[in-house]
Amino acid sequence: MFDFLIEGFSVALTPLNLGLAFLGALLGTLFGALPGIGPINGIAILMPLAYTLGLPAESALILLAGIYTGAEYGGRMSSILLNVPGDAGAVMTTLDGHPLAKKGLAGPALGLSAVSSFVGATIAILGLTLFAPLLAQVAVMFGPAEFFALMVFAFSSMAVMMGKDPIKTAIGAVLGVMIAMIGVDSATGVMRYTFGMPELFDGVDFVVMIIGLFAISEILLMLEHASRPDDDGKLPPLGRVFVSTKELLLCKGTMLRSGLLGFIIGVLPGTGASVAGAVSYTTEKRLNDKHGTFGKGDMRGLAAPEAANNASAAGSFVPMLTLGIPGSGTTAVLLGALMLYNITPGPTMFSDNPEVAGGLIASLYIGNLVLLALNLPLAGVFARVLTIPRWVLVPAIAVLSFVGVYQLHSDLAAIYLMLIIGIVGYLLRKLGFSLAPIILGYVLGGLMEDNLRRALAISGGDTSILWQSGISLFLWIAATALLVLPWLLPKLMAGRKAGNA
Amino acid sequence: MSNSTSQAADRCLGIALIVLAAFCAAHALSLHVPFSYDPVGPKAFPLGLSILLGLLSLVLIFRPGLNGHWPDGRLALKLCAVLALLLAYALLFPRLGYAASSCIVITLLARLFSASWRQAIITGVLMALGSYWLFTQGLDITLPSGTWLS
Repeated sequence: MFDFLIEGFSVALTPLNLGLAFLGALLGTLFGALPGIGPINGIAILMPLAYTLGLPAESALILLAGIYTGAEYGGRMSSILLNVPGDAGAVMTTLDGHPLAKKGLAGPALGLSAVSSFVGATIAILGLTLFAPLLAQVAVMFGPAEFFALMVFAFSSMAVMMGKDPIKTAIGAVLGVMIAMIGVDSATGVMRYTFGMPELFDGVDFVVMIIGLFAISEILLMLEHASRPDDDGKLPPLGRVFVSTKELLLCKGTMLRSGLLGFIIGVLPGTGASVAGAVSYTTEKRLNDKHGTFGKGDMRGLAAPEAANNASAAGSFVPMLTLGIPGSGTTAVLLGALMLYNITPGPTMFSDNPEVAGGLIASLYIGNLVLLALNLPLAGVFARVLTIPRWVLVPAIAVLSFVGVYQLHSDLAAIYLMLIIGIVGYLLRKLGFSLAPIILGYVLGGLMEDNLRRALAISGGDTSILWQSGISLFLWIAATALLVLPWLLPKLMAGRKAGNA
Repeated sequence: MSNSTSQAADRCLGIALIVLAAFCAAHALSLHVPFSYDPVGPKAFPLGLSILLGLLSLVLIFRPGLNGHWPDGRLALKLCAVLALLLAYALLFPRLGYAASSCIVITLLARLFSASWRQAIITGVLMALGSYWLFTQGLDITLPSGTWLS
């Protein structure tokens, strides 16, 4: 049953792939440390380069997955030192991390967060190794109708869990699916929403879409941050960089619990690191906060979100590799990257492309060790990244975006489209949308329509096929429950409103 | 910045999205499929999405949420300048070649992000040449050398 892992290690231990895992971990930590550039932006900016380098699928995936997990490590830097979350997953890290830095414990805080990130990620990678092949065996039984129901479930889980505003999350997802409709309809050959423009016949290109949505809109957003006065880029002193065994033992339970919780949240489709961080922090606060120290620089308040967000990053690979349903916005981008290689992740991936699935999982083990080794002694060096001025950073992002898109298309239409998508992305972000649902909708939209039409083609147009099997019926009920319960529960709880902050 | 302005922004968005939904639905209805074994056809899915988008937009109009601060006049002008610069980069890229166009654009972009002229020019020259070397030598990517040289 674990043959894939043995084959995976033989793939991941080749010099090229080892080097890429190391490079990914390094770049990811740097990207995560830079305020504003999270894992998605990092991957969006570097993906076209990985693609043009002509790397084989498993090597490209190893590089990109390294960036992803590395960015979850790096996100804590600016949270702790500057009180600015480096990415969405590190928002909760600011709550106790920055007060620790103010107390002069920035170094131990960085050390502790590296160790708890490692523990969280290790739990989740073990979970991934055990759980993914099992789920893949179940997923083989999925037909088009079950997949359609699964995607409906993924979207409703996302609408409930992701972002502050469920309506905007839902609108974002619908817009993403609509963008996926553009181009030739594969079943009938009809042109949809192309308006006679040959550039759109193949649909909106994935690279153009993510670069526009994440990199260009980020450049525009950074302009606003740059003109804020509170941004002096001064770092507090680090102090001793190593965390003591006593401090680690204090947080041992917190790390294990949060790692497990983060893994489970990561596996749920559509919910990512930010949810994991928030849930684990509030859980630990409820369990451990007997003296009101949480929020004032409690080590456990730092360990909880860090263990959880790294665990959820690895956990979100489970649905991506076994079902082809991304567990987070970042895995949606990775899924799209795999599709560029004509590999559709799904139940057959463990049997058809064991080198990709196994190689990725094996490289996560290696990358995690590399990250711990890099992050403990080099925390001070990475912290220096925070002082890179925006006037160096932004032109670099612009150049990488242009070269990436130009390299794949060599025409101006793609670049215009990238800029337009960037402006739309910027406006949507200003309007309080998060971009992850859009990219999830865009990646899943085509698959969703294909599966719906395939299911109905099998049944000859009889819609009851969509909920006939036990699996799909369960998924429909679960999806409905997810959408209805958040409204229903508060009303049921209203009777006993005790300490509901 | 006040509640009413940001709620107005959500309402405008809701109306714009309804227009978009109507447009998408109209386009979907205009699709003509001669004959197909596919019982669903290319219309149904976009049509369903348009209806969903329309309904969600209605919710947004009647229950608008809060959103972030909108840039003031000076910042908006800067934003337009950045966009214009990116557009100019796209136009200059094939004509002036990678190194020259990048050097100009990086310098101006750094200026817009409040670097001094000296810092901006040094960044522009170093980054343009450094990345040209990295892309062509290190990563083996072909970049436009520009039509003005030939």
